[in-house]
Amino acid sequence: MFKKILIANRGEIAVRIIRACRELGVRCVAVYSTADRNSLHAQIADEAVCIGPPATKDSYLNMDAVIQAALNTGAEAVHPGFGFLSENAEFARKCAEYGLVFIGPSPEAIELLGNKAAAKETMAAAGVPVIPGSKGAVASIEEAREFAKKAGYPVLVKASAGGGGRGIRRVDLPSELEAQMTAAQQEAEKFFGDSAVYIEKFLINPHHVEIQIIADKHGNYIYLGERDCSMQRRNQKIIEECPSPIVDGELRKRMGEAAVTAAKQCSYFNAGTIEFLVDESHNFYFMEMNTRIQVEHPITEEVTGFDLVKAQIEIAAGLPLKVSQSDIKLRGHAIECRINAENPNLDFRPSPGTITALYMPGGPGIRIDGAVYQGYTITPYYDSMISKLIAHGSDREDAISKMKWALSEFIVEGVDTNIEFQLEMITRPEFRSGAYDIGFLNRYMDKRKAGK
Amino acid sequence: MFEDFFDVVKKRFNGSDDDYKPPMFKCPRCQDTSPLSKYEELHRVCPKCNYHGRLSARERIAITADRDSFHEFDKDMKSLNPLSFPDYDEKQEELRESTDLSDAIITGTATIKGSPVVMGVMDSRYMMGSMGSVVGEKVTRAFEYATENGLPVVMFTASGGARMQEGIVSLMQMAKTSGAVKLHSDAGGLYISVMTDPTTGGVTASFASIADIIIAEPKVLIGFAGRRVIEGTIKQRLPEDFQLAEFMHEKGFVDMIVERRKMRSVLSHVLKLHGFTSKEV
Repeated sequence: MFKKILIANRGEIAVRIIRACRELGVRCVAVYSTADRNSLHAQIADEAVCIGPPATKDSYLNMDAVIQAALNTGAEAVHPGFGFLSENAEFARKCAEYGLVFIGPSPEAIELLGNKAAAKETMAAAGVPVIPGSKGAVASIEEAREFAKKAGYPVLVKASAGGGGRGIRRVDLPSELEAQMTAAQQEAEKFFGDSAVYIEKFLINPHHVEIQIIADKHGNYIYLGERDCSMQRRNQKIIEECPSPIVDGELRKRMGEAAVTAAKQCSYFNAGTIEFLVDESHNFYFMEMNTRIQVEHPITEEVTGFDLVKAQIEIAAGLPLKVSQSDIKLRGHAIECRINAENPNLDFRPSPGTITALYMPGGPGIRIDGAVYQGYTITPYYDSMISKLIAHGSDREDAISKMKWALSEFIVEGVDTNIEFQLEMITRPEFRSGAYDIGFLNRYMDKRKAGK
Repeated sequence: MFEDFFDVVKKRFNGSDDDYKPPMFKCPRCQDTSPLSKYEELHRVCPKCNYHGRLSARERIAITADRDSFHEFDKDMKSLNPLSFPDYDEKQEELRESTDLSDAIITGTATIKGSPVVMGVMDSRYMMGSMGSVVGEKVTRAFEYATENGLPVVMFTASGGARMQEGIVSLMQMAKTSGAVKLHSDAGGLYISVMTDPTTGGVTASFASIADIIIAEPKVLIGFAGRRVIEGTIKQRLPEDFQLAEFMHEKGFVDMIVERRKMRSVLSHVLKLHGFTSKEV
């Protein structure tokens, strides 16, 4: 086991990793930008190193600064969390170059799966069902047109190097294809520095269901059930639940096995998530694979009793998985509500500021993965998520019932939050019935603004 | 501090699932309801009757001045309670904690589409926007700064009148601010006053009404004495739209009515017409 790990991240995931380190008896080093001096992760880690000014590109994305901090503090491994450098193959390589263990998959796996178009091709070749569309990036508008015609409209034009919901455009008619393709290419260039795009059939009202897999460096692979993340506003997840209300044991097994096949195809190790779209007939299609721990990992941890973050560290240290597939059982139902410092009535405008008063719920089945404290000042430089509230109940009704009182008791003063909006969402009949698809929240927001 | 801190728990939990609705705004002018998010999206203008609701000083600055251009003067200026009025200090402490204000006006420099200005914005949340020693001093200093630096002044007024707790000191501010305006004017300065809801009492009777150009937002209340007091004094009924901006415009006390969504452009246009364009520093 490592003696010391550097956490190349901030906010609640950094705090989560610190806690895992503590349980494993590993010393932890935090990194922080000048704006994050008073952040919880920097304050409670064993050591903390300042790596730059507030702008992400100069601090949390500054590979040299992060590696220098690791070398100077004698860290043996780096946990990249999610976002930032977690899916950056160049960073993974640099870590190896400097004798640091990157807590995640190999640089090759990151590279292969980071190219969304190439990843799809790899999956198709492995026999994993994929969404009909172009095989890889399209070289021209004519090629795009051909694939779109074959897949059938509506289609999506998606950035190959994309992620986080950016560089995606929907096309309903052939006449719109050229304009939307140009728009997607420009956005892709701006956000990812790569204008390559691919074409994909747009499924009407599917569910976003993702499978958590984890593998050690000794060739052992397991899947840990699914998460339904269909509650999305503009491609940003707001509420997640495990298991999915539309997945039964048989579908879970098929999807889990497909996910493991996908992971094996890339010689994957450590934690990963395969995202699928599930249509009304319960056909599932591979969408993309994320080669990192995900924000919503707690709901899987609660339902399976399996600590994913600790396992990530153990796997990186060369330890084999302690359980096999038959040991993985789903117990009860867990829901996560992301608590953000934003105002849902002002188009979700972020609300930085000082938290003048904070009271958080506890009690049976409640877990809070947060990074704020009373008196903390949220800066405008990073995303607005301040906490994750997870409710684990004996079944779905129980979990929703717990989430309702937990949200009622979560009080934050000094900044706007989406807490009351989350209450609004979990009391919607569409959520209670589990019949919400990935388009639901956007449609609901349009109606809400128009006063219907 | 914690007396009503937990009220929200019961309120949230007891909103039954069936009638948990998105928050609505009820307009004080037309009494109609609209979704709160729509009202906020329009910067607090009623989508049904165009009533222009109140904005906090910082919100007003955010939608009027260029981003990051506002630099505040005298941020911590506080009243010393010149008449030792009972409970005045306590009331102010409470307000300072609950709002981000230390008195009823925020002043400073800013640019509006590049044109540099001295800006003052009153905030009716602080003791009804009443003018006491601090408001008077801040307004005066703002005009003095503008006079010294050859800058135009834009004042957003919102006030219930003079601050009772400061008695004669408040009354004196009317003369002091008017004097500062006059000196600015004599030096050739441009002063634009924007009357917002409500602009009444000693503020209307002093610096708000002696601007070169007086703008008002639609349907806002502008007056001096209250309607009932006047009706009681002259023993006559007054028209429905008495003291509304449009009435004042008709009678010549307001030069133009400008919608909130057009305010920034109109101010910029007026400033540019008077030669106040962006300066290369």
